[in-house]
Amino acid sequence: MWRIDPTTDEPLYAQLVAQVRLGVAHGALRPGERLPSARELAASLDLNMHTVLRAYQVLRDDGTVELRRGRGAVVSAAAPDLTDVERAVADLAAAARRAGLSTQTTTTLVTEAMNR
Amino acid sequence: MTPAPPPGSSRTAGTEAWRPRARRAMTWSSLAGLLFALAGAAVVWTWRDELPAQVASHWSGSTPDGFMAPTTLAVVGVVAAVGLCALFAAIGITQGAAAATRRITAAGCVWSGAFMATITVTTLAPQRGLVDAAQAELSGAALLATFLLPLVPAAIAAALVPGDPAMPATEAVPDDAPRAALRDGERAVWLRRATGGPGIAVGAAAVALTTLAAALTAEWTMLVVPAALAALFVTMFAFTVRVDAAGLTVRSAARWPGTHVPADEVVRASVTQVRPMRDYGGWGWRTARDGRVGVVLRSGEALLVERTGGRSFAVTVDGAADAAALLNAMADRSRRH
Repeated sequence: MWRIDPTTDEPLYAQLVAQVRLGVAHGALRPGERLPSARELAASLDLNMHTVLRAYQVLRDDGTVELRRGRGAVVSAAAPDLTDVERAVADLAAAARRAGLSTQTTTTLVTEAMNR
Repeated sequence: MTPAPPPGSSRTAGTEAWRPRARRAMTWSSLAGLLFALAGAAVVWTWRDELPAQVASHWSGSTPDGFMAPTTLAVVGVVAAVGLCALFAAIGITQGAAAATRRITAAGCVWSGAFMATITVTTLAPQRGLVDAAQAELSGAALLATFLLPLVPAAIAAALVPGDPAMPATEAVPDDAPRAALRDGERAVWLRRATGGPGIAVGAAAVALTTLAAALTAEWTMLVVPAALAALFVTMFAFTVRVDAAGLTVRSAARWPGTHVPADEVVRASVTQVRPMRDYGGWGWRTARDGRVGVVLRSGEALLVERTGGRSFAVTVDGAADAAALLNAMADRSRRH
């Protein structure tokens, strides 16, 4: 299922990107699986087609999908294994909750660590 | 005759509203089928002085082995057309709750008459002027015409049957139906490809066998049979299933055929287990008893949509529970306008 919530601050294309990455991480999207056409997804979610195409380009640039002429976006065989990351994030979330940190503070810490 | 709905029961009235539409469609399509059959008989009548007293009516290979009087042949054609047409009309009148069912049965009525007329005319046309019907030949072109020509008026009849009018549900989706949790303003779509089952294997085998038969008999025009089968199987072995704010959309991977159930006509969506033979009488795009329509590609899990007007639609697809929950949530939303 694809969801879009226009009332949140997160850009619409980024919401799509996050869902594909999560789907790949959780095994719901397998290597070789074709994503819906940008036109179909845009029509169903009442989005501009360029929003979907932008999401697919971001996913191509980070290697999550391949864009093939005539076949659309296909989940890349080299989809990164996020098992370790998922586990570490679960630990992080638990630790942050124990320390009484807000989601925002935790996100800031993660951003800082990633930029180091 | 339709029993009068009990007073105040809008639901019963809604579920019976299709009956006049079914009777209308079956009436004109039966008349059209009958006209075709009679036109075929009339053509034979105008040839009565040119035909042998006994015409060839059956061939084994290219040698005639069955003979009858031309008038008998014409009468048999009309009687067979009436019988076939009555069968289709009976199905349409008693089970035509969905427009798809009325389309198929109306096409069947017209096809019955056109087919019997064509086969009578193509059988007798080459026998005009013959003294001995044993010399009658059956050409491949005539066979081809017999298969293809009747499909044209049948397709036109199907297109002429009007679709179902919009029938928005008047009642809420039942409380016990599962619903996807959607925040206000959140948009969602569920997309999946429905495939599987014996369709590809059966299709490939049927195409191979009929091709082989055409090759062995060197009757090359009969290659139209595997070609038609291939076209049929291409449209029937994979479908895309989409649930979004508009409702449910199911479309063949070949783009046609397809159908749409608007969210406001969804009474309730659920998961069901389908046995293709027992529940729908086969695989592919099916219309079954009680006007149930289904895209049945394999046995097992299916999304079942109960629709207003006593109709229902099912499609065999993995993850049907998520699809049903989202469709119920979208049906809820459609009631809130």
